[in-house]
Amino acid sequence: MRFLMTSASEQAADETLYIEMGKFIEELTRSGVLLATGGMELEGSLIRSSGGEITVIDGPFTEAKEAAGGFALIETRSKEEALEVSRRFFKILGDGEGRIQQIFG
Amino acid sequence: MTLRRSTDPGSHESRDRALMTPMIAQNVHGAIDAVWKFESARIIAGLTRMVRDVGLAEELAQDALVAALEQWPGQGVPDNPGAWLMTTAKRRAIDHIRRGERLERKHEEIAHALEQRSLEEGVDDDVLRLMFVSCHPVLPAEARAALTLRLLGGLTALEIARAFLVSERAVAQRIAKAKRTLAEERVPFELPPGPELAGRLASVLEVIYLIFNEGYSATSGDDLMRPSLCLEALRLGRLLAELAPRQAEVHGLVALMEIQASRSAARTGPSGEPVQLHEQNRGRWDQLLIRRGFAAMLRAREAGGPPGPYVLQAAIAVSHAQAKTAQETDWEQIAALYGALVRLVPSPVVQLNRAVALGMARGPQAGLDIVDTLTSDPALKNYHLLSGVRGDFLAKLGRHDEARTEFERAASLTHNAPERAFLLKRAATGTSRVAGVTLGQAAERFLAREDLDAETIRSYGQTLRRMCLDLGAGTPLAEVTAGKTSTVFAVAWNGAAAKTWNRHRAAVRSFSAWASIDDLSAGLARKPESRERRPSIGPPQLDALWECPNTAPREKTLWRLLHESAAAARTALSLNVEDLDLENRRGRVTTKNGPVRLSWRSGTARLLPHLVEGRTRGPLFLADRRPAPARMPGPADLCPDTGRGRLSYERAEYLFKQATRPLDPSGAGYTLHQLSHSRR
Repeated sequence: MRFLMTSASEQAADETLYIEMGKFIEELTRSGVLLATGGMELEGSLIRSSGGEITVIDGPFTEAKEAAGGFALIETRSKEEALEVSRRFFKILGDGEGRIQQIFG
Repeated sequence: MTLRRSTDPGSHESRDRALMTPMIAQNVHGAIDAVWKFESARIIAGLTRMVRDVGLAEELAQDALVAALEQWPGQGVPDNPGAWLMTTAKRRAIDHIRRGERLERKHEEIAHALEQRSLEEGVDDDVLRLMFVSCHPVLPAEARAALTLRLLGGLTALEIARAFLVSERAVAQRIAKAKRTLAEERVPFELPPGPELAGRLASVLEVIYLIFNEGYSATSGDDLMRPSLCLEALRLGRLLAELAPRQAEVHGLVALMEIQASRSAARTGPSGEPVQLHEQNRGRWDQLLIRRGFAAMLRAREAGGPPGPYVLQAAIAVSHAQAKTAQETDWEQIAALYGALVRLVPSPVVQLNRAVALGMARGPQAGLDIVDTLTSDPALKNYHLLSGVRGDFLAKLGRHDEARTEFERAASLTHNAPERAFLLKRAATGTSRVAGVTLGQAAERFLAREDLDAETIRSYGQTLRRMCLDLGAGTPLAEVTAGKTSTVFAVAWNGAAAKTWNRHRAAVRSFSAWASIDDLSAGLARKPESRERRPSIGPPQLDALWECPNTAPREKTLWRLLHESAAAARTALSLNVEDLDLENRRGRVTTKNGPVRLSWRSGTARLLPHLVEGRTRGPLFLADRRPAPARMPGPADLCPDTGRGRLSYERAEYLFKQATRPLDPSGAGYTLHQLSHSRR
């Protein structure tokens, strides 16, 4: 099963976090779980299609507390394993929030 | 030093049972299972370093898991669950060492020393060692795969059983036995020394690729479960690539698996039919996996050295993946790669693939020239792809009548219904056939004669079916010549006994006379039948046979049994588990000639219990796979527990011949009959 994990943390990344996160990513890659990962713009643009008309609205949309965003595409045996990965991820990242969505096909 | 505490395979069941208990904290159990699957390999590897026994290490790790299952639902999942499991397991290992060796101060010191050294330290090497141990050549291939999934993948016996379509009990026993063998053979927990490394690594790669193929080429069974085997193999491969980064073949295998897996979605059509590589919708190939495959291939190149079989196969897969359309495929390059592969792995199947590539690169005649050198290879005589490929080349050359015959032959050889339909469709395109009696029709009428007894018809039937198969049942009888008949004989029966050859020859003579056509056996000389049977197998060959390292337990037992009981192979194969009197070393079967008693000696007696492995009924010698629906044997020839059929005489004979070819001075390989008469 593949999952897309996106996250936004409330702390700006410091040296320690970079090192810890680097180790974690290395470990995930090694165990064959992590397929792709990277940083991510927090707000981005919202695209809406309605009645054949496309509207693009640039962020920010909320009063952002978040300081950094990222994504990871992982391959696990179960949703529980995916949750375990994100649990570990947030232990390093600290406060923030994220989303896990299974990916099909 | 053996620190084994218990050999009871049942002790692992506590975990499975605990996981299935309905609890409020169901999600905690899910979380524990997830943590376990991530951590188990490292924990077991670290413990094995401490206690030097894989079986014991796994039991201690399981104890820690059981503790987690007991404590976490109440107390909550600890902050660092992996470390918690590791610490608990390590504590149990130290307790175990102390308890077992209290009187020996030396071991106290060892335990002390172990406490000082962190389990985390060098754990990567431990995991690599664990992989080498669980793929050790002293274990049969099936056991290696099961043990690797268990120890490195953290899978339960039930999960492994589902993936391999066998019973959970069989898997549990297979694993328990494997661990016992490792302890008995004192397989060290060490990386193989330099000169051995390549061979041992090949064994690890073989296990991983076997797991992958078990999932990748599954055409039946639980479709949802099988892809998970591909995933397990990929994870094992990726892990190994990180642990042994300087081995080009490891990266080659990973590249091969990543790229093959990238085509998963495109490999089957809407109704489940297979889609050939060149017809696949390349838009459905998984670009992420392809890129990972390319990256692994680059690492293989960086590791250097002459390319091995996995690197070459990966290079072929890469070449296909690089072509945006089937037309853009670089067939010259692929043909060259197959040429290199054929030199490393001289197999007619690889050669056939090379022919396909050359045919695409330089035209159908170039391909046909190679294929024609393979048609006389007995190993391919029932291989439908050979006829399919040959038919394809012939059709492209406009030789439609010959192509039709090949497609019909291929259709009659394949077991896959959609593929058969496809081949028959190809056979039907092209020019129409001239009217007249066909070989198939004539054979059918010939065999329907009432003046022949059943045994003769059975015997003639064998001959004519082979003729129809090889020459095409739709071929007009008028076009069947003595020359073509000789070719059929040369491929099918050249290696057979003189008696068999003469029997088939007699059938052709009889058929020619009945059909009032020129004698088709004109080019076939009668072979002198010697009165003497083939000599029995000599003592040095027998000794070599018993020492063969890679013999599967089933073959080992059957061969010993035939040697010690002097029973006919068919009789031995008809043994059921319930027919065995293990204590008194005898068994009883009912053949068509009445009841037959078999008795054996210590060699068989030692092996039989392992083969029986807790079964209580059904055929003693089982086929490797479940039978296809179309070839379902009667209930008496099916194992009620696994659904596998009885091992056939033909298969058993083939395996024995293959295995003894290197031993037989004549190079032909021995027969089971000779083995039955080999007792000194």
